[in-house]
Amino acid sequence: MNLEEVKPGQEVTILELMGKEDVLKKVEAMGLRRGRKVSLLQKVGRNLLLKVDNSRVVISRDLARSIEVQ
Amino acid sequence: MKSIRVALAGNPNVGKTSILNHLAGTNLKVGNWPGVTVEKREGKVRFWDYEIELVDLPGIYTLEPLSDDEWVAYNYLTREKPDLILNVIEAPNMERDLLLTVELLEHELPTIIVLNMMDEAQKLGIEIKDRELSELLGLRVLRTNGRTGEGVRAILPNLVEVYNLKEKPRSLKYSRELEDILEKLRERENQTKAELIKKLLEDEGCRIYRESIRKTFRKESQEVIRDERYAKAHGLYREVVQRKHLTARDITDSIDKVLLHPVFGIPLFFLIMFFVFKLSFDFSAPFMDWIDQFINGFAAPLLSEMLASLGVSLWVERLFSEALVGGVGFVLTFIPLIGVIYFLLALLEFSGYLPRVAFLMDRFMHRLGLHGKSLVPLLLGFGCNVPAIVATRTLESRRDKLLVIAMIPFMSCPARLVVFSFFAVLFFKNPALVIFSLYLLGLLVALLTALLLKGTLFKGGLYHFVMELPPYRLPTLRLLFRVVWAYIKDFLYRAGTLILAASILIWLLLNLPPGVKNPSESLAGHVGRAIAPIFKPLGLDDWRMSTSLIPAFLAREIVLSSMGTIYTAEMYKEKEEFHPFEALKEQAVGLLSASRDAVINLFKPIPTAFSVEEESEESLRSLVSKSLSPASALAFMVFLLLYTSCLGTVAVMWREVGKKFAFIFLAYSLFLGWLMGFFAYRLGSWLWNT
Repeated sequence: MNLEEVKPGQEVTILELMGKEDVLKKVEAMGLRRGRKVSLLQKVGRNLLLKVDNSRVVISRDLARSIEVQ
Repeated sequence: MKSIRVALAGNPNVGKTSILNHLAGTNLKVGNWPGVTVEKREGKVRFWDYEIELVDLPGIYTLEPLSDDEWVAYNYLTREKPDLILNVIEAPNMERDLLLTVELLEHELPTIIVLNMMDEAQKLGIEIKDRELSELLGLRVLRTNGRTGEGVRAILPNLVEVYNLKEKPRSLKYSRELEDILEKLRERENQTKAELIKKLLEDEGCRIYRESIRKTFRKESQEVIRDERYAKAHGLYREVVQRKHLTARDITDSIDKVLLHPVFGIPLFFLIMFFVFKLSFDFSAPFMDWIDQFINGFAAPLLSEMLASLGVSLWVERLFSEALVGGVGFVLTFIPLIGVIYFLLALLEFSGYLPRVAFLMDRFMHRLGLHGKSLVPLLLGFGCNVPAIVATRTLESRRDKLLVIAMIPFMSCPARLVVFSFFAVLFFKNPALVIFSLYLLGLLVALLTALLLKGTLFKGGLYHFVMELPPYRLPTLRLLFRVVWAYIKDFLYRAGTLILAASILIWLLLNLPPGVKNPSESLAGHVGRAIAPIFKPLGLDDWRMSTSLIPAFLAREIVLSSMGTIYTAEMYKEKEEFHPFEALKEQAVGLLSASRDAVINLFKPIPTAFSVEEESEESLRSLVSKSLSPASALAFMVFLLLYTSCLGTVAVMWREVGKKFAFIFLAYSLFLGWLMGFFAYRLGSWLWNT
């Protein structure tokens, strides 16, 4: 499934970042990388609030759709 | 004296700027706002026999540049080559931060690692073996607490020692396969790893090597390099970081449960904003009155006595009292308001709440075609349009920036409130309702402007939302006061230069040709008469009203003081006796009671700033109310609300976007103000049958 389908409170492991957008490189450097665990804290509007290690990262749903998780 | 150039590099929000602030004591802006440092900021420290020049690079996650701020950092490191890199790492997020460290080490410059926010890391059960880190990389590792400044002082002697001993970090080793290929590219002994990698990825002649990488790794070279860097960072992390799983709850998570609540988050945001504005107006109002008293009741008469005793001509004395005191002095009374607004907004920003507003409100903003981050500058606009426009620098796309800048001037600021309260109380039974409607009209026009621009000039989709929410942190008072002082200093500077020059110019227009007694015969009067027909459809064909609008271009509130000058020009002013010492005593008592009133205002639930006190200008009030109808008063307020009658705003637009944009916008707002004023006049005439 992709990250957008995850439910709040769930913790998942990132499998792959798909898509060609440059902004995904930044997302990756922010810690959303293959093999890393992220938990979804909240979904608000078009955005997701994620916890990655000890940082909180907000990404929009369109980006979340291109991140495969398990 | 030798000078050392040091670059502070690190991820956003790791506290680089506050470390710089502690080191150099400069008034730098630091924020929990991701990417607040878009420009290069510098601070100089003298230490031992050295001048240490510290450059704060924009916060970046990686040295593969994408946005403007990342390019700034990249170009500085590769082209200007600092003598030393101070790599600041946020200890709780060590794994993420080490990626940048690895990329920095590729540049093979002397480097010191600063582990910041160690206290937060310890609370989270994270132990960092800094000795091991230091040995693995061959560089010095220091610990600091950027909030309190603990450990920051130790940075300076280490900088000097590393510089003198030319300590270079151990060279980084990637996988054997990659290293072999990179070595084949080497032409000179002193080529850095960063240069070799750049050559491998970009050089035309290296195509065969890229081919061979694709064969061995079955991936593009770019990806191979990235994977190697991540692997290195991860390896380092595993060797130096130990985690105990503490069950202690993270305070930020608990606060976020409330403040970012899907249902209550937004009402709470409105409540917080309500208190911010209530406090700004109510706490500062007594001090503003006091400054007004101080300037007009003490400083001005004292100085004019002194000028008179020096025997200067009446011309000079009048220029002084009318242009300097009337123009610049009036603007100075706004200092308390500006100070309090900035204090509260800085508190919201440094505590980490402001970025959350962007996240919270994005669901509404994006329906309007605006990024959630654009709400913050719009909110600032209610305080003052000028810093609000500066705040748009934090927006990533130029399209968003221009859209928001075109909306901000319609956010009604306290200067407009001053004018509204004068007219609304004079002409309407329910002044609060009238004022509230005007604020709403401003918002509506801002939205319509955004929709208009979006449909024509600024088409295109919304930028993705990617943002880090920092943990909540309580900023120190010293930091907040430094920020507030930086803004006040800037404001005083403008008051002493731009506003002073414009005040003198307008005073001259009102007093030329020489010997003119009545403002109606002055140059300004002639201009006012010439433009009066333009305002006739708004019910404002009185030359005195149109003339008062000319100096109001400086700042809207000046419309009142110039109306006062023009309407009461024939009236003889009685000169009062002035005793400096008694007056000084009176001022001191006044300041005390102002402080008392300010504290009392804090505890009143309802904003008191709207209640208007009766002032002594009874004559002006009656003169104005005789010369205008309620419908034309309404038209006048609407016109002044929408037309960008503020030199400061136009100037800052010019600086941020360009001359053309500033003037086109000025014309647009003038036209819109006129049009809406016309409708308001028609509506008023119809309602009140005049």
